Amino acid sequence: MNLTHLQPLGADLLTTLVFLPALGALLLAFLPGSSKVAAKAVALATSVLTFGVSVLLYRGFDPATSLPEAFAIDRPWIPQFGIRYQLGMDGLSLALVLLTTLLTVSVLLVSCGQEIEKLKGYLIAFLLLETGMLGSLVALDALLFYVFWEVMLVPMYFIIGVWGGKRRIYAAMKFFLFTLVGSLLMFVAILYTANVHLHATGIQSFSLADWTRAASAGAWHLPAGTEALLFGAFALAFLVKVPLWPLHTWLPDAHVEAPTGGSIILAGVLLKLGTYGLLRFAYPLFPHAAARYGPLLAVLALIGIVYGAWVAAAQKDMKKLVAYSSVSHLALVVLGIVAGTGAALSGAIFQMIGHGLTTGLLFLLVGVLYARRHTREMADYGGIAARVPVTTTLFVVATLGSIGLPGLNGFIGEFLILGGVFQVSVAWAAIAATGLILGAIYLLTLVQKVFWGPDTVPANRTLTDINGWELAGAFPLVVLIVFLGVFPRPLLTLVDGSVKTLQRVGARVGPNELRPAVRPGLTRLGLHEIETPRAEASR
Amino acid sequence: MTGFLHVGGADLACVAPELVLAAFATLILLLDAFARPIRASFPYVTLFGLALANLAGSNVPGLFFGGAVESSGMTRFIELVACGAVALAVLGGAASLERDRRNQGEFYALLLFAAAGTIVMVRGVDLLVVFLGLELMSLSLYVLAAWYRDVPAATEAALKYFLMGALASAFLLYGIATLYGRLGTTRLTVLQGLSANSSFVPFDLLLSVGLLAIVAALSFKIALVPFHGWAPDVYQGMTTPAVTFLSTAPKAAALIVLLRLLHALFPAGLTEPWRPLLAILAALSILFGNIVALSQRDLKRMLAYSGIAQMGYAAIAVATFTRDAFEGVLVFLAGYLVTNAAAFLTVAALSGGETEPRTLADFAGLGRRRPVAAGVLTLSMLSLAGIPPTVGFIGKFLVFRAAVDSGLVALALIGVLGSLVSVGYYLRVVYVVWMKEPVHEVSLVPEDLLSGAAFLLTAALMLAWGLFPRALLELARGAAMTLSGR
Repeated sequence: MNLTHLQPLGADLLTTLVFLPALGALLLAFLPGSSKVAAKAVALATSVLTFGVSVLLYRGFDPATSLPEAFAIDRPWIPQFGIRYQLGMDGLSLALVLLTTLLTVSVLLVSCGQEIEKLKGYLIAFLLLETGMLGSLVALDALLFYVFWEVMLVPMYFIIGVWGGKRRIYAAMKFFLFTLVGSLLMFVAILYTANVHLHATGIQSFSLADWTRAASAGAWHLPAGTEALLFGAFALAFLVKVPLWPLHTWLPDAHVEAPTGGSIILAGVLLKLGTYGLLRFAYPLFPHAAARYGPLLAVLALIGIVYGAWVAAAQKDMKKLVAYSSVSHLALVVLGIVAGTGAALSGAIFQMIGHGLTTGLLFLLVGVLYARRHTREMADYGGIAARVPVTTTLFVVATLGSIGLPGLNGFIGEFLILGGVFQVSVAWAAIAATGLILGAIYLLTLVQKVFWGPDTVPANRTLTDINGWELAGAFPLVVLIVFLGVFPRPLLTLVDGSVKTLQRVGARVGPNELRPAVRPGLTRLGLHEIETPRAEASR
Repeated sequence: MTGFLHVGGADLACVAPELVLAAFATLILLLDAFARPIRASFPYVTLFGLALANLAGSNVPGLFFGGAVESSGMTRFIELVACGAVALAVLGGAASLERDRRNQGEFYALLLFAAAGTIVMVRGVDLLVVFLGLELMSLSLYVLAAWYRDVPAATEAALKYFLMGALASAFLLYGIATLYGRLGTTRLTVLQGLSANSSFVPFDLLLSVGLLAIVAALSFKIALVPFHGWAPDVYQGMTTPAVTFLSTAPKAAALIVLLRLLHALFPAGLTEPWRPLLAILAALSILFGNIVALSQRDLKRMLAYSGIAQMGYAAIAVATFTRDAFEGVLVFLAGYLVTNAAAFLTVAALSGGETEPRTLADFAGLGRRRPVAAGVLTLSMLSLAGIPPTVGFIGKFLVFRAAVDSGLVALALIGVLGSLVSVGYYLRVVYVVWMKEPVHEVSLVPEDLLSGAAFLLTAALMLAWGLFPRALLELARGAAMTLSGR
């Protein structure tokens, strides 16, 4: 990645990006006394600065960059074992980095507007979490990635465990253990892969670039069984995070118990790191196993889409409903990744960002209501639209964005995924579409039950609308939901290079039964450029 | 063989750290007897002695005392480990001993003697010197184990430790004698020469029995399952600062001795019965230690079982037996030293003498009342669990990596499984400290300067070695050269 034109700003812009939040957390830790205002100021300033750095990176980004050819930073970290401090990004990472820094600012703004106990610790946890997330997104050395990946666990454990609801300890522990099972197996798989690489090439390296190069050249000579096991270990770690049915059971617990900020980050970013890991590690490194077991993943994803939607429809708790809707929506993203066509991959990545914005906003708004009424039961609300008009408006936008109303971001992502999946299997697309229909039903029911209908609950008479801080946190998300729905092009262009790289990986192994025809709908949307048939990409 | 050993200046320079440690130990005993009023200065005297011992360490590698002891990267490593462990025990323990009204000089003197013994153990190239070192260390620790001599449980634990330790010593001597009977030497260097020749038969009944006895004796000191029985009781009964030492340096020394002996006998790599045997010891320790620790409600007992599991991870490296494994296990041991010390120091710093907080429930609400101590304890638990970016992760990474590289994937998977189980109890401590409100407030003693310094030091090392492990790896590589370089 060419960052030379950013040199005047310091060559280590990526290092700054990753460690700025940690620095802010350190500063907070040494901040004397109980001044809440100072703590808020430091945390907000740090997160805004970090967002600024990510915007700088976006402005200096060349969309033609594709991993893993080039690095922004490449230094030895543990030279004795060939472990490197390699950071870099392509469009996929950058899009998620922007989402992460933006959502963190939102979370901190919202927490400024609400009464939170032990505020300093809360802010520190979020800043450390941000470092972990950003590090995972830009690390290009497998071990470095693993370190950041695990670093995310601890702050989130604290966020759920200290600031969560009644069953917070259970939820926090479940979150920690579920994630750890997957990642420890991945850890052994990373060690094994490094060993395979050493024996195949004679070079000690954990660098994703070296690994991908060797894997795509077939230099590893992996037996099919071994490759399947390694792919399985990586995929398990990531699919727990996504979470794909049947590994999802930690998610509803974690979401329900987590404080608002925790839910926003969890749904907005952490889940996407699962799909990110699939795209960055599992698929490029083990393409043959990925191709062979793709159908299995697709079946799980299809079950997840329908199951998540079905269970969401039965929920009475708003947060649980949104949590299960995430299970369903993320399963659709996995399906898009498995399908592997240009449209499906573009859609999957678009949907990762889109879901982060809409679901983040939904959790934020549920949190706004919760902060005032201390209940998330839909039955405790009803007909509050007139009392909280701004909250209602925002909630409706988020819901419609999540359902996939044309003109909002959800539509683009879902449409692209379905279009791409349709090229691979009509049946898959048909089943996935039913999940979307169910999605419309339960989300609209949610809006109807909470905001419309008879205003009978006396406790709601004193309900106040969203306050300035909360609105400041929600506003950028709403703007982006609308903007990306109307102008998807900037984001699609940004991730185009990553999609092409991923397609090349798929094309080398995949049976080419895919129809190269461009879907008419895509042409009409002006999206046909991104529809690159595999045959062409493999040249 | 000449009748008298000629002792030259170089020989004395080689063992200078032990001499300094022993001299300061004697000095403190004398001061304790004849200059009682200056008792308060003992911690500083001890720290000064430790610093001096470290400075006295020789950097000239070679064999001394007619080839009975050596100076090498490995002895340098154990000097740092032993002195570091005593320093941490003294820093964290001085105040709690004073509160205990048992601020006797013995504590410092015995720790110094134990450290000297620990170093001698590793310095010995002759198995008899190893035995001498082990006995010096063990005898000091037996006395320290009986510190609360008026508390029945503690006395019982000490007696148990002493009897079983004596048995282990007997086994060690028996093993050494058997080796001597079969091969006619107790020198590791000579053994290595013998086994490098083809005249040496590895599958020899007599030799196997002798080696088995030695492995058992050392496993006792390391507290590997099934030789672990003493650990929980002794940990619980012993004064906490002393446990800081007991749980780290002696285990490290015994493990290094085991590595050296096995390396002398099997320079080309472990042969059939031994590799699986050590793998089984490792697997048993990991599984048993972690699973039993889950049900412990007393923090010190829990740490004892956790220590058994941790040594199981270290034993993976012994079973792996490659150069990378040697390096890895040394990094692991150094990391374990600071991590474990941090955990015990928090217990020591919070104990008001005999009213130590013992059960986990006593630690509830610590995060609010003592954020620094709670933070160090948390970091220590995360490091023990092997969560990055702490040194515990680096150690486990190196050990597991070496195991995977030499085809012991199953053992690495058992290790990983154990880590997963261990998160259950390590995180329980974190939960109690930060997320649980106390049922009744335990009175806490005021914070003191020395233990504050110890907190800072251990926390800094846990993070610094976790983030920038290069320097530690260099040290470990230098030490491992002693084994594999020759």
